[in-house]
Amino acid sequence: MERADLVAELRAIVGDAHVLVDDADVIVYEQDGSILQAMPEIVVLPADTAEVAAVVRAAARAGVPVVPRGSGTGLAGGAVPAGGGVVVSLTRLNHVLDVSYRDRTAELQPGVINLDVTKGVAKAGFFYAPDPSSQAACSIGGNLANNSGGPHTLAYGVTTNHALGVEVVRYDGSIQWLGGTVPDAPGYDLCGVFVGSEGTLGIVTRAVVRLMRARESVRTLLAVFDRMDDATQAVVDITAAGIVPAALEMMDRTTIEAVERGSAVGLPRDAEAVLLVEAEGVREHTERAVRMAQEACVRAGARQVRAARDEQERAALWKGRKGAFGALGTLAPNYYVMDGVVPRSRLPETMRAVAEIGARYGVRVANVFHAGDGNLHPNILFDIRIPGELERVIAAGAEILKACVAVGGSLTGEHGIGLEKREYMEWLFTAADLEAMARVRLAFDPRRMFNPGKVFPTPAACGETTRWAPAKVPEGLWV
Amino acid sequence: MRAMDRGTLVSRLREVVGASHVLTRPEDLVVYEQDAFLVAQASPDLVVLPDTAEEVASAVTLARAAALPIVARGAGTGLNGGSIPVAGGLMLVLTRMNRILEISPRDRLAVIEPGVVNVDLTAAAAPHGLFYAPDPGSQGVSTIGGNVGNNAGGPHCLAYGVTGNHVLEMEVALSSGEIVTVGSRAVDAPGYDLAGLLVGSEGTLGIITRITVRLLRRAEAVRTLLAVFDTIDAASRTVSDLIAAGIVPTAMEMIDGTVIRAVEAAIHAGYPEDAGAVLLIEVEGYADVLPRIMTRVHKIAERHRPRQLRAAEHAHERELLWKGRKEGVGALGRLAPAYYLHDGVVPRTRLPEVMRAVAEIARAHDLVIGNLFHAGDGNLHPTILFDPRRPGMLERVVRAGEEILKACVAAGGSITGEHGVGIEKRDYMRWLFSDADLEAMQTVKAAFDPQGLLNPGKLLPGPAPEAVSDGAAAAFSVRPRPGVWS
Repeated sequence: MERADLVAELRAIVGDAHVLVDDADVIVYEQDGSILQAMPEIVVLPADTAEVAAVVRAAARAGVPVVPRGSGTGLAGGAVPAGGGVVVSLTRLNHVLDVSYRDRTAELQPGVINLDVTKGVAKAGFFYAPDPSSQAACSIGGNLANNSGGPHTLAYGVTTNHALGVEVVRYDGSIQWLGGTVPDAPGYDLCGVFVGSEGTLGIVTRAVVRLMRARESVRTLLAVFDRMDDATQAVVDITAAGIVPAALEMMDRTTIEAVERGSAVGLPRDAEAVLLVEAEGVREHTERAVRMAQEACVRAGARQVRAARDEQERAALWKGRKGAFGALGTLAPNYYVMDGVVPRSRLPETMRAVAEIGARYGVRVANVFHAGDGNLHPNILFDIRIPGELERVIAAGAEILKACVAVGGSLTGEHGIGLEKREYMEWLFTAADLEAMARVRLAFDPRRMFNPGKVFPTPAACGETTRWAPAKVPEGLWV
Repeated sequence: MRAMDRGTLVSRLREVVGASHVLTRPEDLVVYEQDAFLVAQASPDLVVLPDTAEEVASAVTLARAAALPIVARGAGTGLNGGSIPVAGGLMLVLTRMNRILEISPRDRLAVIEPGVVNVDLTAAAAPHGLFYAPDPGSQGVSTIGGNVGNNAGGPHCLAYGVTGNHVLEMEVALSSGEIVTVGSRAVDAPGYDLAGLLVGSEGTLGIITRITVRLLRRAEAVRTLLAVFDTIDAASRTVSDLIAAGIVPTAMEMIDGTVIRAVEAAIHAGYPEDAGAVLLIEVEGYADVLPRIMTRVHKIAERHRPRQLRAAEHAHERELLWKGRKEGVGALGRLAPAYYLHDGVVPRTRLPEVMRAVAEIARAHDLVIGNLFHAGDGNLHPTILFDPRRPGMLERVVRAGEEILKACVAAGGSITGEHGVGIEKRDYMRWLFSDADLEAMQTVKAAFDPQGLLNPGKLLPGPAPEAVSDGAAAAFSVRPRPGVWS
């Protein structure tokens, strides 16, 4: 099929206004939240499941890749169309289809914004637990694709723990439910396989997610440390004491500086690190957990521990934490956020390693992360306009992730692999392990048409030019 | 390519695992023809007891060369016939692989072989103040490999989740003979969640040879409350109200009048014999906080006019209350020569109506049904009591069981909460899943096991597999056996 024929067919499916082909229009879709770029050739914005299915069928007939995209807040290049083809933007599928407080479930289209789910059910006393920092912008479909986490993952788990079933469009345009409304359904857990598959198995067009009941009480502590080592030790001690906070977040000195420059929420600028500890539950439990966490912080050497006195103060603390990534822009024009995981007990030594790597490469690193589950987010600050800087940053990032894997950790806690880390998968998995995944991929997507070149290491060449630098997809992919 | 003949296979297997670990004589094989799904049996052609992952992989490769089905078996406590070799073939009994390889208090995990008995892991973790959470009723006997195969649960799943929530990483021998690792020691490994796929796959995708599981820290304190009600309805509404109030007990078990009377005759757990239902409510947490939470539990239970609310005063009393629950099914032997234990799931909010439906089904079929179950997560275990010697009885029991599970599905529930599908419920899978759903599962099955050799005839619906033509495989039969019931 000629490119023009495909465009005409897509227009017939979704309407002229929802097929974008001009550079000025598609450039919006060349990048996600990562530093990777590739210009899409065609962007389609279907309105419903049936249109998604028809788009997939058309793309299949044309033999071109399909790259699903939500809000484009992904941090690993998962939605960057490095292999060309059709970008399917799901932002118009943004309806909450059903909410059942009785069964504590919500049925959502993939383009629904994460925070809107909680906003919609909060009045009835419920919330949707996974809360990535991007939750005001990111979509549920993107969260499912990346198995997103967030500060409260510590207590409630990541997206997969909250997805009961998904409706998916498969390679042949067929529409199918995986999972359902019952937890722990018999048979193979295919919904679980889909969650975190980064758009490589099909397109999610509907999802049933759990809603959780809002907690009776919540308390938030800010603990201030003069040494990073003491702060990481406090994290180890808090969990060793048997406390499971709802969230346990850390920000280092560089991040504090950025946050205070950005929105001045009252963090002490001379501290080496602050911990944000949140406890939730029935009132009696919360009070006791907070008291124990406070004691653990003091014992570990906190110079100050204070509880948010009211909701306003609590909101300010969280505003600082959730806005931290954006605030890093006050320190440097670019940052590269890493997403490593280490066993909590290895946190102190890994943070020392991160500092050492930053020093060795001569790059500034800001740390803001989910300390409670050992999920690091070292942000390497840089200026992409300085020649050679990007290469240095990437090398430093790779070394940080290697250090995580070396202590029994992992390459990603919640951001996914995407384009960014596909070559690193070999640090975690053997060729046979990856081959087993590849077989599952082929079972769902025999033509490898969905989001090719993501997640799995590929022989060099394909996409190599688009990997770290803006570049147009080569002509000729249409033949 | 001609399949390897039996003589060659046996001698090659003996070379791999040692002669004493290959069983071929009928009197040795008969031990392995049945599991706890008491109404069916079939004999394997031969049984191999491997000691290492490499031995498992070699046995799989040899079985494939001989075109024999491969059925993994743990302790044989499964309730759905999942380890019955319905097509004959080679059975891999994993009970020799029962080593605890690592317990890491620092990272709160354990690395074990699949044949480790569930309760042994908790015992080994106890000195560190840790425990392994999934606690199926069979935990004193069942293996963790079997628990993983069936995604087993237990009373404390309410707070801690089922087996799948506790598995981090596994080593698996594939049908190709390759050994792969799925998942990772760190939670939520990237790539496809193959560990999640393998959990609950009932031995149809690979043979698990090593498992890394989470260990949890023991709570500081625990309180157990016995709440006695005149009706199941009142008890069911108490369950709903407690959950609605945001209190998540670690366990919330219901035992109905029929089971109470059997338990009291057998164990004397201290349940009032004339009650309609009792709830066992267990709450864990901080020692100084628990009394206040228990006060709230009391207040909510009191709304439903309990006849009695009694907290266990000391560990012995708590153990006795639990003994009644854990041995309740066994105690039913007092009431009838046989029972058929079901495993349905319903949304918690539909509990009262489904319990009424179960009672109605019992009346319609003139059967006695005892109920003891995980009320907190809506996981029912209606247990049908019967005498298999009475003609036509088993058919009636099977029909009533089907109706109960249909009622669960109709209420938005499922055909199994923790016992798995096996041969028992493979045809019922069609009630839950469309042809397209099942087709997707078959595609994944084929990706792992293209020749269909791993535990054929289980989990996914389809025609019964043909017995291998070796002659030694007994035809699969569903028939009550005289003797096993008494």
